[in-house]
Amino acid sequence: MALLSISEPGQSPKRSQAKKYALGIDLGTTNSLVASASADGPCVITDQDGAALLPSVVAYLGKDKPEPVLVGEPALKHAEHISSVKRLMGRGASDIKHKLSYTLVEPETGGMPLIETQAGLKSPVEVSAEILKVLAARGKSYLGKELGKEVDKECDGEIDGIVLTVPAYFDEAQRQATKDAARIAGLKVLRLLSEPTAAAVAYGLDKKLEGNVIIFDLGGGTFDVSLMRLEKGVFEVLATGGDTALGGDDFDRAIMRWVQEESKVEPKQEQIAELSSIAREAKHTLSNKDAVELNFSGWSGILSRENYYQLVDPLIELTLKACRRVLRDAAMKVDEITDVVMVGGSTRSPRVQEKVERFFQRPLLNELDPDQVVALGAAIQADILVGNKYDSDLLLLDVNPLSLGIETMGSLVEKIIPRNTTIPVSRAQEFTTFKDGQTVMSLHVLQGERELVEDCRSLAKFELRGIPPMVAGAAVIRVSFQVDADGLLSVAAEEKSSGVKSSIVVKPSFGLEEKEIESMIKASHREAEHDRDLRRLKENEVDALRIIEAIDSALAQDAELLDTSELKALQQSLSALQETLKSGDADLIQQHSEALNELSATFAARRMDSQIKSAFTGKTLDEVDR
Amino acid sequence: MTITNKNYFEIFSLPEGFDLDLNQLTAEYKSLQAQSHPDKFSGADDATRLQALQSSSIINDAFDTLKSPLKRAAYLLTLNGIDPEENDQNHLSESLLLQQIEWRDALDNATDEGDLNTIGHLKQEVIEEQQNCISEFHDCANAYNFVDAKPIYNKLQFIEKMLSEINRSEEKILDY
Repeated sequence: MALLSISEPGQSPKRSQAKKYALGIDLGTTNSLVASASADGPCVITDQDGAALLPSVVAYLGKDKPEPVLVGEPALKHAEHISSVKRLMGRGASDIKHKLSYTLVEPETGGMPLIETQAGLKSPVEVSAEILKVLAARGKSYLGKELGKEVDKECDGEIDGIVLTVPAYFDEAQRQATKDAARIAGLKVLRLLSEPTAAAVAYGLDKKLEGNVIIFDLGGGTFDVSLMRLEKGVFEVLATGGDTALGGDDFDRAIMRWVQEESKVEPKQEQIAELSSIAREAKHTLSNKDAVELNFSGWSGILSRENYYQLVDPLIELTLKACRRVLRDAAMKVDEITDVVMVGGSTRSPRVQEKVERFFQRPLLNELDPDQVVALGAAIQADILVGNKYDSDLLLLDVNPLSLGIETMGSLVEKIIPRNTTIPVSRAQEFTTFKDGQTVMSLHVLQGERELVEDCRSLAKFELRGIPPMVAGAAVIRVSFQVDADGLLSVAAEEKSSGVKSSIVVKPSFGLEEKEIESMIKASHREAEHDRDLRRLKENEVDALRIIEAIDSALAQDAELLDTSELKALQQSLSALQETLKSGDADLIQQHSEALNELSATFAARRMDSQIKSAFTGKTLDEVDR
Repeated sequence: MTITNKNYFEIFSLPEGFDLDLNQLTAEYKSLQAQSHPDKFSGADDATRLQALQSSSIINDAFDTLKSPLKRAAYLLTLNGIDPEENDQNHLSESLLLQQIEWRDALDNATDEGDLNTIGHLKQEVIEEQQNCISEFHDCANAYNFVDAKPIYNKLQFIEKMLSEINRSEEKILDY
C-alpha cells in the first residue's frame, strides 16, 4: 500500500523524484524478455510491433555497416547469426557437445570459447550484452513514455537497476558471466535471481499460493526444478536441482539426429540452422497432430508422434529424475507437495505435461504464460529492491545449487558449503602445510557433488604466499568462503599464526578477467559514443538542410531586399554549407550552419520589416487596430 | 549488542540448551531475515550492504546449526568449553564397534533392488539408535554434564556417517 504523502505548506509533492525505474530481465536461451512493475501490477514490455519475446539471437555484420549489430528477429533473417549463446556462458569449449551453426575458437589461455564473427572474435558475454542492451532500450523507452505520463512530467527513463534471472542450477562461473554481461551493457544489477524463484514470486502473488510448491521450469536450453515453501510473503527454497544443458533445444536436436540417421544426409554447418528450424516446427506440429512430414536436402520422411515420444522420453525422464532428487534432498514425499507450477516454453509440450502430472499425481498450474512468468517475477522483485515498495514483506531465501569445496591431498574435494544451503552464507575451513618450511600454498576452488577433483567443476585457483616457514602441519590456514544473495562466491585465505593474508590472484577458470571485462566495457562505450556521434551528425544534417531550404525559399521571394555584396556573401555561405554536408563531419556542419544562420539574421530582420510594412500599407489605424 | 557478539541461542532469543521449539526457532529466523537480508538494503551504501551480508550469513548459519540435533549438540559442547572434534580413541564403545561391523557387512552386500528391503531395515535400526543417542545426549545436556555428553556426540557423529553411507547405497540402487 502506498503511504499518503503530505507535503510542507507551499511545496508540492515531487513524485517524480521518489519513483525509481527498475526492470526485470529474463535472459533466455531461445528468447529473452523485459518486464516492469507498476501500481497496476507487473507487465511484460513489448516492442513497437507488440512482440513480447525477443529471440536471443545476435548477428554481427561488421563495423563498416550502418547497423553493425542486429539482435532478435532481424538477426534471425541474417544467415550468420549466433543463437543459444546462454549455453556457452561460463563454460569451456569441451562442455559444448552439440553442433553449432557458428564456429568456436578456444582461447590459448583456456576458459570460455570465443565466437567467430564478421566483427572479429566475440565472447559469449559480449553477445549476451548485446541482447541486454536491446532489452534495456525497450524498457527505457517504455518507462520514459508510460511513467513519464504517470508523473505528469517528461522523463528520460534512465534505469536505476535491473533484476536479472539465471537458472537456479547455474554454477558460480555461469552466474558471474551473466552479471558481467550486464556490466558490459552498462546496467546495474540489483540482484541475480533464480528463474524458478522469480516464477514463484509471480505465481505466489498473483494466485496467492501457499504451501510446498514445485516449480518445474523447462526452457529452451536449461532445466530447473525447485521445491519451495511459500508462507506469508516468505519464499524459501528447500532444494533445487536441474541441468543447465537440457531444454527444448535438445528435443529439436533429437529430431535433427533422427533426420540425419533416416536421410543419411550429413548436414553442413550452413545447413544446421535450417535443419534446426525444420525440427522445431515438427516438434510444435506433433503437439496436436499424430504425424508430421519432414523435408530436408532432397530427402523426405514421416515422423510419427509415437516415434517422437521415443526420441524425447529419455530427455523427459532426466527432468523427472531431478524432481526425485529434489524431493529426497528436502526429505519430502510426493503427497506433501501442494502445487506444481509449470514454467518455460517447453512445458507447453503435452508429453512433458502428461509425464509431470503423472509423477506428482496432481493437476498442474499453468495459467500464467510460461514464457513470461519469470520476467514478471523479476520485475516485481526489481521494483522492491530499487526502493519503490519499501513496505513490502516479500522475502526470498534462495540456496546454492551445488556444493562448494576445495582441493585437498590426493585430488579429493573437501566440501565447505554443501548444496541446498540457504544463501547468503559464509563458512570457513582450516588447512595445514604438508612439507617442512612450506611458504606457499595453492588453493583450488571447486563446485560439484563428486569426490574427485576431476569430476567437479574448477572455479578458480589462487595462491597464499608468505607463509612463515614452519614444520609441516604447524601452519593453520583458514580458508573462508562467502556466497552472497546472488549466489556469487568470494574466497579469502589467511595463515592464522602470522596473520598473513593471501596475496590472492584469482584466475577464474571459465570466466573473464577483470581486465577483459573493463576492455569490453570500454569497447561498448566506444560503440555507444559512435552511435551518439552518428545521431548528432544526422541531427546536424537535418538542421542544415532545414536552414538551406528556408534561405532558398526566402531568396526566391525577397532577394531584392539584399544588395549585391550581401547577396553574394549569403550565397557563398549557403554553398559552403551545402559542400560541408557531404563531409560527414558533425562539427563542421554545425559551424557552417551557425555561420549561415548569423549571416542571414539581417536578411531575416529586413524581411520581417517588409512584411509588416506591406501588412500596414494602405490601411487606416482603425483597421489595423481591429 | 551486535549480532556478531551473540551466541546462536541469543540471536533467536531462545534459552541455551538442547531442548528447542523448532516452530519458534523457524518463526524467529524468518522475522530476523526479514530485517537483515541484503535485499532489504539494496539501495544502501557499501558498508551497510556488507554488514547486511554478514548479519544475514550469520543468521543463516545459526539457523542451520540449531535446527539440526547433531550440529546443535556440537555447538552446545563448544559453548561449554569442550572441543567436539577433539580426538580421543576410546569414545566408541566395543559394542558399537561390533555393531558397525555388522551394519557395514549388510550394507556391502546390498547392491541391487532386491536388497532395498534389507537397506530399509538397516536404516530403521540405525535411526532408532540415533534416537536413543539423541535422548541420552539430551539428558546429559539438561544436567549440564557435558563431559559425559561428549562421547555421546561422537557416537551421534558416527551414526550420522553410517546413515549417509546407507543413503548413498540406496541412492545408487535407485539411480538418483
